[in-house]
Amino acid sequence: MRGSDRDAFSKRHPLVNFVFFIGAIGCAAVIQHPVYLLAGAIGAGSYHLLLNGRKGWRMILGMIPMFLFLTAVNPLFNIYGATVLFHVFGRPYTMEALMYGAAIAAVFMVMLLWFGCYNVVLTSDKFTSLFGDLIPALSLLLVMVLRMIPNFLRKAKQLMGARRSIGKGAGEESTTKEKLSDGMTVLSALTDWALEGSVITGDSMRARGYGVAKRTSFQIYRMTCMDWTLLALISLLLAVVIGFAAGGSTAASFTPDLFFAPIAGWDALGLIAYCLFLLIPTALHVKEAIQWHISRSKI
Amino acid sequence: MAHFEIKDLTFSYPAAKGKRSLEDVCLSIKKGEYIVLCGKSGSGKTTLLRHLKSVLAPHGKRGGEILFNGVPLEKVSQRDQSAKIGYVMQDPDDQIVTDKVWHELAFGLESLGCDQKTMRARVAEMACYFGIGDWFHRDVANLSGGQKQLLNLASIMAMQPEVLILDEPTSQLDPIAASDFLNTVRKINLELGTTVIITEHRLEDIFPYADRAIVMDGGKVIADDTPRRIGKLLYEQGSDMFSAMPTPVRVFYGAGGEGECPLTVREGRNWLSRVFPEAPGVSSFPAEDLAEEVADPALLLKELWFRYEKDSPDILRGVSAEVATGSLYAIVGGNGAGKSTTLKAICGICKPYRGKVKVFGKPVEKYKSGELFHGCLAMLPQDPKSLFVKKTVREDLEEMTRDKALIEQIAATCQITELLDSHPYDLSGGEQQRAALAKVLLTKPRLLLLDEPTKGIDSFFKETFAAILGQLKEQGITIVMVSHDVEFCARYADRVSMFFDGQILTTDTPRRFFGSNSFYTTAANRMSRHVFQNAVTAGDVVELYKRNREG
Amino acid sequence: MKKSKIATLIVLFGLIPGTLYLGTRLSGRSYYLVGTLMVIELLIPFFLAFEGRRPQARELVTIAVLCAIAVAGRAAIPIPNFKAIFAIIMISGIAFGPESGFLVGAVSALASNFFYGQGPYTPWQMLGYGVAGLLAGFVFSKNWIARKPLPMAVFGAVCVVLVVGPILDLSDIFLKLTQIDLAAVVVVFAAGLPVNVSQAVCTFLTLLLIGKPLLEKLDRLKEKYGMMEAGGDGI
Repeated sequence: MRGSDRDAFSKRHPLVNFVFFIGAIGCAAVIQHPVYLLAGAIGAGSYHLLLNGRKGWRMILGMIPMFLFLTAVNPLFNIYGATVLFHVFGRPYTMEALMYGAAIAAVFMVMLLWFGCYNVVLTSDKFTSLFGDLIPALSLLLVMVLRMIPNFLRKAKQLMGARRSIGKGAGEESTTKEKLSDGMTVLSALTDWALEGSVITGDSMRARGYGVAKRTSFQIYRMTCMDWTLLALISLLLAVVIGFAAGGSTAASFTPDLFFAPIAGWDALGLIAYCLFLLIPTALHVKEAIQWHISRSKI
Repeated sequence: MAHFEIKDLTFSYPAAKGKRSLEDVCLSIKKGEYIVLCGKSGSGKTTLLRHLKSVLAPHGKRGGEILFNGVPLEKVSQRDQSAKIGYVMQDPDDQIVTDKVWHELAFGLESLGCDQKTMRARVAEMACYFGIGDWFHRDVANLSGGQKQLLNLASIMAMQPEVLILDEPTSQLDPIAASDFLNTVRKINLELGTTVIITEHRLEDIFPYADRAIVMDGGKVIADDTPRRIGKLLYEQGSDMFSAMPTPVRVFYGAGGEGECPLTVREGRNWLSRVFPEAPGVSSFPAEDLAEEVADPALLLKELWFRYEKDSPDILRGVSAEVATGSLYAIVGGNGAGKSTTLKAICGICKPYRGKVKVFGKPVEKYKSGELFHGCLAMLPQDPKSLFVKKTVREDLEEMTRDKALIEQIAATCQITELLDSHPYDLSGGEQQRAALAKVLLTKPRLLLLDEPTKGIDSFFKETFAAILGQLKEQGITIVMVSHDVEFCARYADRVSMFFDGQILTTDTPRRFFGSNSFYTTAANRMSRHVFQNAVTAGDVVELYKRNREG
Repeated sequence: MKKSKIATLIVLFGLIPGTLYLGTRLSGRSYYLVGTLMVIELLIPFFLAFEGRRPQARELVTIAVLCAIAVAGRAAIPIPNFKAIFAIIMISGIAFGPESGFLVGAVSALASNFFYGQGPYTPWQMLGYGVAGLLAGFVFSKNWIARKPLPMAVFGAVCVVLVVGPILDLSDIFLKLTQIDLAAVVVVFAAGLPVNVSQAVCTFLTLLLIGKPLLEKLDRLKEKYGMMEAGGDGI
């Protein structure tokens, strides 16, 4: 939930972050061409590791069983495919379906990795500041909810602690029924407390002029020159990738026969654009590290 | 022209059946004045303040007129009122709307539809003025109570109000945060000329700077004068508001002092020096002996060590204490020192990783589940609201026992018999405290733990509360109390302990404890320590003064 | 005609068919992308209706409280994996009508994912949770079913198993299957059933035990402040 400044890309304007992730996740969701998939996996994986360090490795390794499972399961549902490996329950288990399964599992994993990065980079305040002007009431609502959640979590804890210190409330040794009934009591008391407080919050909003004019939204993030450049670059590269994809150069089909669009000649341009696009966050990080190194050696 | 002109304001709530909450209030408030409004809870202070801002004015029957800068308030546009009349409420938490400090600072400006440039400038200005720079990017959830209230003030000041209205802004804060807050308010008044209208229990921190003090009782203004003269008025009227006056004022009139009334400790010292140019004949109360060994302690703590997480720092670092049966034992000390954690460790909510807790001679972990909290030990939490789970006080009490007679009896002890059918949230702070105490007492504890029991309640409720504690002590109940309220501990405790850095450092009788401290002590002691050796309450000073003058 | 209604029409007859057409033109497997786009498009009319209503401070605060309670409620119940979120969303819908119910659901889903992590399922959750509030509001505001604990609890459980759960499972179907046919869909739904049933049980118990008192609290609030009266017909 903290405003993230872990790396160079996180420090960029939320709009740059948001457009990048929409592009990266959108492409990952649609393109199944194995070479593009590999590029996506490398792009997402490297940025994920950069953000999360050792924890990132754990997550990536943890994905492997899931990947294998999804791959192996697919042929059970999808029986099309020319090369039958064996039969399960009388249904053919084909090599093409297995490949297809692997591709889909890879798509899923790459998306998860990108979302992992998204969660670190696009913190709640960045998200709400993006939509502050577009949907002011909703983004204020979201901001208020995000403010209240930790508050209520704390109050719930406080209620439970207070009840325990007068011998009420459920402990570890209570039966599930007791826990349930006490939980409901606390939930209901929490609601009371929260609604009571909401009257004050409402007063505080009106006292500070909520509703007297058309709201503006304070932009704590400003688009710098660098941000505009990056945004233009991201948009350009995405447009190239989408253009080539529409032209069929990312086409891949698995069943009944394997077919991958060849990457040769002009089509290589689409892949190159895709790779450049995916490497933007990692490249920014490397660039900053080098700059920092140089400026430090000058001191 | 007066800033606010209140003419014959009369108001009654719809449910009050004609009983007036405000009666013929006439006031004129000049630009730049610093006005403190005092009165018991329920005297109509908040009702009056809320009338000064249309969106907050309560619904009900109203007569009279309020002029703001000469214009009837209802004719002043909402927009102008929002910007020009700032209003800070009591609860630091619930006033905050957004999740980030910077966003909260900008909230009012956003509402008014300011452009980016103005907002940037004003937000930056406020962050600097209030010293918020360091926590500008933080989540509101991670702020302390004092920081939250300062943020509320700053986010109102960002709109550049002409008047600042504060309704008991420090009642939920600890003393240090409270005086920081009040200093900031004073700075705003002095440096910006903002008119300040404040209600507050902590008159000692405000009186020296206020231009006028207005006292309300039963919806009427009963006194309106400079702080220096208001004490005399109240003393002569025999008003019970007198007991809320700052210590020097109480001592001065209590002792029958002559001349100009002192308002601050410094003035009080000077006055005493003038009265006693030479050391007085009787300069102290007889020394008390502190019993070395407590026979049969109700509570024994031995070398408690505790931390919340495995790799977080220790909160308790070898806490040891003995509490005699039937006594009122107070633990004082700074914020975050671990006082509340100690209480939690006694209850078994926190489990110390080293050390022993013995309740009535038996280790706490040897008590069977349920046994400890029935007829043995109970705790009143800091926020009494955390004990209320039902629609009426009565239902809440019935959650504890089916014994109707016992409920009636305890309700009588706690003086809440008339409140039994009210919703717990409709009670005032002091009443909530007593209702919560009643709920706790229904477990028939022999050892009662109190966490900051005087927080947010005014001096009258404190006295009522102290009287109830006295009754409980007579019934043989041992009370352990954690508090910031030095004055309360000095007056009512049998033993006082200083908690610092995760340990209990010293324990003594209040007289010896506060008599030997020079900073961490009561106002009465600070004011008289150069003349009397161990006077710790206003009553003590008055008594020694009289003995010397008369004897 | 109100702006939000125009937006609804544009979404239903313009955006959604457009997205479907786009889906047929895209090379590769685009179920997930098309499905998710459609889900997001479905959310738009609700959001615009809320924006268009220019909600009052009290309404905004009350909706925020309900969303936050829905998310934070789990901390109040000392049973692992016990989720009261659907129950709270449904009660909001019953008390304040389908539109607010939907909003509480959708925003709770989004907000809770800020704490537990956003993922490919986020829009689907927003829709699914929103529909829970919407249906509850719709069914009970028309007084088709009495607002009594047992009927509410039964409705809640049925709604979770038959509507909300399947909507969430749909995202799995689009994400993980290569071939969408009846058998595969049945298998995915069956695999999701245990989770859905357990959540239905939680919803059932919560609504049965405290549905009524919570509803009373909200009704009292509504009466006191006359909230949510304008524009309750945006659907």
